[in-house]
Amino acid sequence: MKNTYSGIREQRRDTETYTDWGGDSFTAGENFPKRCLGRAERVFSQGLQCQQTNSVMALLSMEDAAFVLHSPVGCTGCCCMANDWFRVGQIHRGQYAMKNARVIVTNLDERDIILGGEEKLRKAIRLAHERYRPKVIFIFTSCSSGIIGDDVEAVVSEVSDEVSSVLVPIRCEGFKSKICASGYDAAFLAISKYILKDVEKGETEEDLLNLFAPPTVSYIDQVEIERILGDIGIRVNYIPFYSSLEKIRKIPNARASTAICKVFADEYMKELYEKYGIPYSHTIMPIGTRNTDKWLLGIAALFGKTAEAEQYIASEYQKVRHLVEDLRSKLQGKSVFITGGTGRSFAAAALIDDFGMKLVGIETPVYDNDTQGDIEYLNKLYGNFVVDIANMMPYEQVNLLNRLKPDVFIGVPVWAAKLGIPTTHVLDIKRPTMGYRNLAYLGSKILYQIENPGFNKNIAKHARLPYKKDWYEQDPFKYVKRS
Amino acid sequence: MSEIVENPHANCSLGGANATLTAIKRVIPIYHSGPGCCLQTTAGEASQGGVRLPYYVQYTALPCTNMTEKDVVLGAVEKLDRHVEAALEILDADAFFILTGCTAGIIGDDVQSVAKKYREKGAPVYAVNSAGFLGESCLGYEIALKALLDNIVDPAPKKRNPKLVNLFGVIPFHDPYWEGNLEEITRLLNLMGLKVNTFFSHDQGVKEIKTASSAVLNIIVSPWLLKGFAAEFEKRFGIPSLRHRCVPLGATETETFLRSVGEALSLQDKAEKVISAEEKYFYRYLETGIGVQNWRRFSVVGDASTVTAVTRFLANDMSFTPDGAIVTDAVFRPADRERITEALTKLTYSRPPEIFFTGDQWQINTALARFDQTMLLVASTNEHEFAMSRGLQFFVAAYPNSERLIYNRSLAGYRGALTFLEDIYSNL
Repeated sequence: MKNTYSGIREQRRDTETYTDWGGDSFTAGENFPKRCLGRAERVFSQGLQCQQTNSVMALLSMEDAAFVLHSPVGCTGCCCMANDWFRVGQIHRGQYAMKNARVIVTNLDERDIILGGEEKLRKAIRLAHERYRPKVIFIFTSCSSGIIGDDVEAVVSEVSDEVSSVLVPIRCEGFKSKICASGYDAAFLAISKYILKDVEKGETEEDLLNLFAPPTVSYIDQVEIERILGDIGIRVNYIPFYSSLEKIRKIPNARASTAICKVFADEYMKELYEKYGIPYSHTIMPIGTRNTDKWLLGIAALFGKTAEAEQYIASEYQKVRHLVEDLRSKLQGKSVFITGGTGRSFAAAALIDDFGMKLVGIETPVYDNDTQGDIEYLNKLYGNFVVDIANMMPYEQVNLLNRLKPDVFIGVPVWAAKLGIPTTHVLDIKRPTMGYRNLAYLGSKILYQIENPGFNKNIAKHARLPYKKDWYEQDPFKYVKRS
Repeated sequence: MSEIVENPHANCSLGGANATLTAIKRVIPIYHSGPGCCLQTTAGEASQGGVRLPYYVQYTALPCTNMTEKDVVLGAVEKLDRHVEAALEILDADAFFILTGCTAGIIGDDVQSVAKKYREKGAPVYAVNSAGFLGESCLGYEIALKALLDNIVDPAPKKRNPKLVNLFGVIPFHDPYWEGNLEEITRLLNLMGLKVNTFFSHDQGVKEIKTASSAVLNIIVSPWLLKGFAAEFEKRFGIPSLRHRCVPLGATETETFLRSVGEALSLQDKAEKVISAEEKYFYRYLETGIGVQNWRRFSVVGDASTVTAVTRFLANDMSFTPDGAIVTDAVFRPADRERITEALTKLTYSRPPEIFFTGDQWQINTALARFDQTMLLVASTNEHEFAMSRGLQFFVAAYPNSERLIYNRSLAGYRGALTFLEDIYSNL
């Protein structure tokens, strides 16, 4: 994330980035490197997720923090969701006297749209400070504040003299990107600019790893990740997930960095390398044994612990081997369609090979250099399969599912379930998914939902999807037009 | 004139309009908005009601133009046009409503002419200015109802249906118990021989909404919503409105409600019969709870209707003692505040609660902290923190609710009162 990086994923210079495309994996894998995948845009689309949502989600579990949204009230929708995760996360951590995240919205209205909302923003920041004396206040922009041109940075620099909190404005206007992960980058750009700007690199803590985690990691996954790394002598500095200003300030002192999700802090880790010389590992999400092996080996190499990690992996595998074999015996040959965020999608796509299942289609919100690596790997495993570069686009999804008739669907189940297809998921914000020990939960979840599809079979007889019958006969990519 | 607010108790007008419209059978909104609004409004409105989701289109299944920087600069009317065209090709619906988000609202895209173009070709496409900056969820509900009145309701009904009434004031999803409430009120009105247009529950859809202009009465169960709407309905169709101060909950309130409907429609005898039979049912249960359901001092936080309903029921029927009544709706007009205050003050025997108007979490918690004798807090998930910090008995009855799945449970009538009493029982 060089100084020149805007935080908008479409504008990255070291990769082509596609958000709208449909076809097969051989074509994608062959054409992308030649820069002839074909620029396209959907002339009909369903809702995306905006980057503000991701910026908010990334930071909302920080302690001693307050959050000011410079927006109309509706943009707090994502806070409702993230606040729920935060409250439940506290309870899972044994903090039964749980707290709300302190979210203050400037509640921009028609008058503010015309006259500007800077005064309200000033007041909101002061209010957050007065009420909670937080160590840090994150300030999020919105489409509205961006379009009317409120000078958020100027307000921040003015108010920062009056308050004891560190003020961190995040430029995350929704209209600036179709890729919600841009919001993660916006958050890290702001952390770098406003929290770490004066922080000198201290003495390197030789066993310390910066572990960048999004809020979609359950507590039990956190425990498992810490166990695995602890077992080979690596300590974890979790950021910004349930972390604090102090932990963020410790970032430059770590020996290495990694992330749990592939599109989380990937750009920021590059910056940490350039600025502080902190090496990083960027592999895959640790879901399933082989993905976890890969993830762990990537980190171990940075700590000179490869041999130790290999030995550890072998011993961990012995403990879950019977489970993997049992799952494989029951799931062998089942065809799978996957949808989800980029990180989870490709981790799931690699995972199902552990169980002998076969990928027939995948939806990914983005296709870039990273995706190309994944696709090349998956092409070798599964041969040709359908690739839909889409952030869900349920209308394409149901059309594809109806054609491909997979044995299993992995992803948000709302639409696939209505077609009667067994559904399961590798994204569970409140339940275990990652590492070795949690395979018992993940594996049985996948297996049991597949062997007992009663709910979906029954609901399909009654549930209603909004598409016309003949849509299912048409080209699923009909509305993806070359530009 | 919106105020800065902490942990709001509402989504925006787009969220309110969307939740309202997606509660109608076979109706599809088309968002002309930024790329996050579908998710923000579904996560922030519908799914904060009873946790469940609209059945037909929801979250990222909502058609949306996902306006980006280029669209902000150049306008996106053509983009919207193509979206409507495609929506008509592949989506099966009785009506499409183009809903504008802040982005479209600020740049001023002419969405009405897009809708008009398709209407002229015979397609049921309507446009609604619903930009989030216009206001909060309640306003979105009013905006959506006005759009139904302007576009769907039959403008020239041939004759009156003397048995038909329209029921308004229960906001889909924003009232977590909306569907159960509509069911219970409908059940009671059916017993009086009436047919009820709810617009939203179950199999009601465009067909029922069309017939709204042939009804004999609009029944509005809210202390303050839909004043302009009611006047407009009366002006256009001569249909009067009967306002009841809240969703009727419990024997005392439901009796008053049914009696006033009876009076308005000259169905007094029927009303009395229903009241008598239902009270028999209700009190048969209640007498088995004597000495079981102990006295409580209580406070309520939520939308005006829920706060009124719960306060009146617990005070009038259960002899509980109200401490605080905190209304989170953005109520600006003094006349509306007076109306709500009156509804919360004129109780049968009980002393009235202290009344506050604020949706701001800090102010809500500060207000609640004044009542150190309160034992039971009926509120939203946002107040769970306060309840735990004070060791209060806590029950979620209002938006935002992210902890309690609600299908057909109600906070209405006789049956809703019984399940509510079950819910707030505690032997601690």
